[in-house]
Amino acid sequence: MSAPEPVHPLAGVARGRHGAAGDAPLRVSFPARDIVQVMVRRGQDAALAAAMRTAFGIDAPGPGHTASGSGVTAIWIQPGQWLLTAPRTTEGALAVRAAEAFSTCAAVADQSHGRTTIAVSGASAREALSRGCRIDLHPRAFGPGRAASTPIAQIGCLVHQTDAAPSFELTVFSTLAEPFLHWLLEAGAPFGVEIA
Amino acid sequence: MLRIPCPHCGARDEVEFIYRGDATVTRPGPDGDVGAFHDYLYLRRNPRGWQVEWWQHNGGCRTFLKVLRHTVTHEVRAVATATETLEVPGA
Repeated sequence: MSAPEPVHPLAGVARGRHGAAGDAPLRVSFPARDIVQVMVRRGQDAALAAAMRTAFGIDAPGPGHTASGSGVTAIWIQPGQWLLTAPRTTEGALAVRAAEAFSTCAAVADQSHGRTTIAVSGASAREALSRGCRIDLHPRAFGPGRAASTPIAQIGCLVHQTDAAPSFELTVFSTLAEPFLHWLLEAGAPFGVEIA
Repeated sequence: MLRIPCPHCGARDEVEFIYRGDATVTRPGPDGDVGAFHDYLYLRRNPRGWQVEWWQHNGGCRTFLKVLRHTVTHEVRAVATATETLEVPGA
C-alpha cells in the first residue's frame, strides 16, 4: 500500500471567485474522500446490519437516507447497497476495514478513485442545484441526512445533504467531475461561486 | 413526461428511467422448441390499453421495476419491484 497518492481530478481547477460578485456566494470545495461500495450477499441483510453496527457503529440506513458514526458515513444507494465514505487517510484504508467487517456477508469495492466528491454550501446552494436537479430539495421534502441519486446535467450524481446551512456533498464519477463542475459554475454564476 | 413512483426513491421523472419492454413475456424452459423461442423473442401484444412494462430506474436506484401503464393515456396506475406481480385490469 505504498502507491503514490493519486492526483485529484479537480486539482487543475482555478481556485477563488467565479461568476457574479455578491455577499452570499456558493461555497465549493473538493474534500478528499475514501469511498467504498458495500453490496450485501443474498439473504445476509441481518448479518450485514449487525456487522455495520459492530465495525462502524452505524445502523444501516434505509432508502434515501444516510447514517454517520465514528467518522464514517453510510449512504443508501440502491436496494442492498451502500456507499461508505470517510475523510481520506491512506490508500485503501477504509476498503480494508470494510472488507474485514463484511467478509462473510457482503462484497466490498473501493471506489475512492472512481468517484469524486464536490461539497457545496451557502444560502444559494438549493437554488443553484435546482437549476439542474429534478428532485425536490425544499426542507419539507429533503433535509440533513437525506441522499438521492439523480442525473444532474445528464451526469449521474449522488446528492447528499450534510447540514441545514444548507450544505450538500455531490458525488459523481471522477471522469465526469470536470464537466459537472463546469455546469455547477454556470448554475452558481448569478450568486457567485467561491472555490476553496 | 411521465412521473413514475419508484418504490425505493419516490416519484421521479421519466428521463431517469429506461423502457425495457413488455414485462409479461416469459422465457421458455430448456425443453422449449424453436417455435416457442421465436414467439418469446419476437412476438409482442402491442395492446391499446393497460400494459405491464419493465422500466429500469437507471438514474436512481438502478433496479428493474414493473409498471402498469395505459398506452393511450400514459396513466401510471401501479409500480412494483421485479419479483412482485402486477395484474392487468380487465385483460
